[in-house]
Formats: sequence, structure tokens, C-alpha cells
Amino acid sequence: MESAEKIGLGVATAGHVLLFGLLSAGFLATPNPLKLNSPPMDVSLIDEVALESMAPRLSTQPPPPSVAPEEGPTEDAAPAALPEPAPAPEPEPAPPPKKPSPPRKDVPKAAPKPKPAPEKPAVKAKPTPPKPKAAAAPAPAQQKAKAKPKADSPARASGEGKAQKPRGSMLGKDFLKGIDTEADAPRKPAPAPAATLGPAQKAALDAEIRRQLKPHWRPPSGADADQLVTLLEVRLDKNGRVVGAPEVIEQRGVTASNRPQAQIHAERAIQAVKLASPFRNLPPEFYEQWKWLRPLRFDARLNR
Amino acid sequence: MPGMGAAAGAAAQAATISPLVLFLQADIVVKVVMLGLLLASIWTWAMIIGFTFTLRRASRQSSAFEDDFWKAEDIDRFFEARGKADFPAAKVMAAGVTEWRRSTAQKVIDREGTRDRLSTSMSSTIATEIDRLSDRLNILATIGAVAPFVGLFGTVWGIMRAFTAIAAEQNSSLAVVAPGIAEALFATAIGLFAAIPAVIAYNRFSHGINRMEAKLTRFADGFYSTLSRELEAQR
Repeated sequence: MESAEKIGLGVATAGHVLLFGLLSAGFLATPNPLKLNSPPMDVSLIDEVALESMAPRLSTQPPPPSVAPEEGPTEDAAPAALPEPAPAPEPEPAPPPKKPSPPRKDVPKAAPKPKPAPEKPAVKAKPTPPKPKAAAAPAPAQQKAKAKPKADSPARASGEGKAQKPRGSMLGKDFLKGIDTEADAPRKPAPAPAATLGPAQKAALDAEIRRQLKPHWRPPSGADADQLVTLLEVRLDKNGRVVGAPEVIEQRGVTASNRPQAQIHAERAIQAVKLASPFRNLPPEFYEQWKWLRPLRFDARLNR
Repeated sequence: MPGMGAAAGAAAQAATISPLVLFLQADIVVKVVMLGLLLASIWTWAMIIGFTFTLRRASRQSSAFEDDFWKAEDIDRFFEARGKADFPAAKVMAAGVTEWRRSTAQKVIDREGTRDRLSTSMSSTIATEIDRLSDRLNILATIGAVAPFVGLFGTVWGIMRAFTAIAAEQNSSLAVVAPGIAEALFATAIGLFAAIPAVIAYNRFSHGINRMEAKLTRFADGFYSTLSRELEAQR
């Protein structure tokens, strides 16, 4: 070892000791700027397949605003009731009207309005309107069906098929503004908690079955083999076991080049069903929905 | 003591992850790897410093010697004065002069044979000198090539151990994972720390030695031409 190397060794050793000493002393330590504070979080893994959503479905549409102008004090209903004796003959005219279909929808709306309605006619001194009013008064006493005639009667009174006219006189043209055809939709009763197999639930069920089939599905390979589609009919018992032998309903995508594989394709599909049996996680209360798996589709997409 | 070191390490770890703590925490295999790499690094730097001195001195002395040689009036006298020195150019000249004296001492001079012998002796002296200079340069190359792998080995081992610890604790929080990973990565860090200077130094020094060899060869060629001319004149 030459003197130069000795010097080199000494210097190198000293340098390393110095460097690591400095590092150990925290000379180059970087303070941790991110105080990693991660509170524990609850994670629930749901692996059951639900066929239904139990939550009531809420309509996203707001209820239709009432646009009908309110005119006149409500007390006027009382005078309207006065002509009660007269109405007796009226019920007859009421039914005859040709019941134009559009007005009928408005019936429920129209019901609260009978009181203003009577007023106008009185002001305008039209002879006919009072009659419907008269009809309204007896209505509570008699049948509920009377509400309809009431709405219709103005139409009849004007002598036209349309209900427009009388409304013009009594309620203004925008009487039905907020209650158009669209407005009828939200008025349908909100669907009760789903009791049937909705499309989303059906998809979930299908996905679950496909998920269980997938590991056992080994499609044949070859020219155009990925175009083959085999549809099976499978019956399951309540435990998810296959009952009997799965049957091939149909085979699609058979071409000249993949004809040799078609038979293998079907056999592998049946084999996959048998291997996957029993199917788990299928909700027993919806056995009816998955009792027959028909059609059970096997294609290149399944093993993707 | 290792236990104490680990305890101290756990306390210090929150603030800094120092090399000493990482070393003390590590598995015995990783420790051996780290120690080996540290020694390799020290050796690398020792060689770098030693080589720099040696090469620079040899180069400087040879250059000065050549300059003086070409200015010298009388080769024999110059050789007596400075030819005994211990650096490449002087050695080459000594080889040439020695061979010349031996060959011309005889009564009948075989010119062709003398030329051959002059050429051979000087080029072999150059080769010897270069060999002596570049001795142990391969160590730098070896360290540069192998140290990263050794460090990687230590890292893989340490990470395997860290994962075993995670599995044992059944807890994969950062606090469990981080120290093991950090200590494992430290092995690779030391490996690179040793390898990078080694590779750079190896390239630098092999370039320097090549240049030195070329210079010596040119000097030997010039000297050979001179001697060859002298031989021609000697009757």
C-alpha cells in the first residue's frame, strides 16, 4: 500500500464517519410537515344481493303550484247555496254533458274552487252558471260524482265542447296553467317501497350469478370462437342447486370457421353451470325470480 | 444493546430517521449488507483519493521529465542525472538506455536486432508501468457494478421482514409499515451511495490511465527514433 493510498483511506474513513455522524445527529433531518392524522373510518363490505330497494321513492318534482287566481271572498258560497231549491232539476242537465275528457283530469283541482266559481256568474248575470253552482251545493249532500258534472257543466252552459269559455268568465285563462299534462305525473301516488324485481335489482341478480359462473367458464379458443353465444335454460332449487340438466336453448354466432367449437362451447357452458352449482347469495324470498334462469347467456364477454 | 438501540430508535423515530437508528433497527442480514456497503464506500473513496494523487503526480513528473529530456544536450549525462527516478517516463527511458548500452557493448552491432530489442523493452516497460498504475482499478468497477445489487438485496430482505411483521401484527397502519420499509430502503441508499462515486471514478481514472499510456507510448516512440538514428551513425 502506497502512502497516497494510506492517506486516501484515512481521509475516506474520516469523511464517512463525519457524514454519518452528521446524519445521525439530525443535521439533514427534515421535519415531517404533514402530521398524518387519519382517524379510523368505518367501512362495511356488503356482499348480499338485494332484490329491492326498501326506501320509498320520493318524487323529485315539486307539487304543481296553484295558479288559479282567487277571486272573491269565500263567504259567497253561502249565497250560492241559496238557489238550492232550484238545483233539483239540474242534476239532470249535469250528467248529459259530453264529458270532454280533458276537464275530467282537472276535477280534483276544481273541487276546491267551487266557491269562487259561483261568484262570477252571479256578477255577470249569466243564467246558466248558477245552475252548476246549485249542483255544487247539493253535491256534498248527494254523491261525490257530482264534482264532475260541476266542472263540466260550465262547458255545457257555454254551449261549446270546450271548457275554456266558462273558465274565462269565472276563473281567468290561467286557471289550469300549473296543472298541465306534465303536472299530472307527480300527482300519481309515489310508488310504495319496491315490492317487485326492478331493473336495477334484476341487474344485480344477474351480475351475482355471472360473478359465480365466471371462474368456471372456460370458453374454447379458436377462430371466431369469441363470437359464439350459448343460451342455456337452468332450473335452480331453493338452495341454489341446479335441478336436472341445463339445456341449450339456442346458439348464436355460429359461423363456418367456428362450427367445430360450437359444440364444445355449449358443453363448457353446461359444465360451468354444474361447477358453479350451488349458487350462493341468492335471496331466498325471491326464489321465484331466479328459479328459472332463462336465458343464461354464455359468451366471450362473460370471462372478461 | 440492540434492544436499547431499538427503544431509543423508537423514541427518536418520531422526530428523525437517522442512519444510526435505521442501522440498529435492522435485521442481522441487512446489517451485514449495510456494513459491507459502508466498507465498500470507504474503500472506494480511499482509492479515489489515492488514485487522484498517484495519477496526478505520475503525469506531472512524466511531463516535466519529457520536457527536460527533449531539451537535454547529452542523453547519457541526462540519464545519469535523472534517469533513476521512480516514475513511468523515467522507467521507460531507463529501459531504453539500458538496452542500448547492452546492445552496443558488443564488438559487432546487430542493428536490426538492437532495434527490435529497444522497441520491445520500452513497450514492455510501458505496459508494466500502466499495469502498476491501473492495479485495483477493477475494484472500483466491481463496486460500481455490484453495490446497487447488494443494496437491493438488503432492501428486499428488509421488506420481506417488514411484511412478516405486518402479518404478525395484523395491522397495516403506517406506523407499523414505515420503519421496516425505511430501514430496508436505507440498504439501497447505501448501495447507491457507494456505487455512484465508484462508477464515476472508474470512468475518470480509466480515461486518465489511457491518456497516460498514449503519452508514454509517444515518448517511447520519440526516444526510439532518436536511438535508432544514433545506431545508424554508429559504425
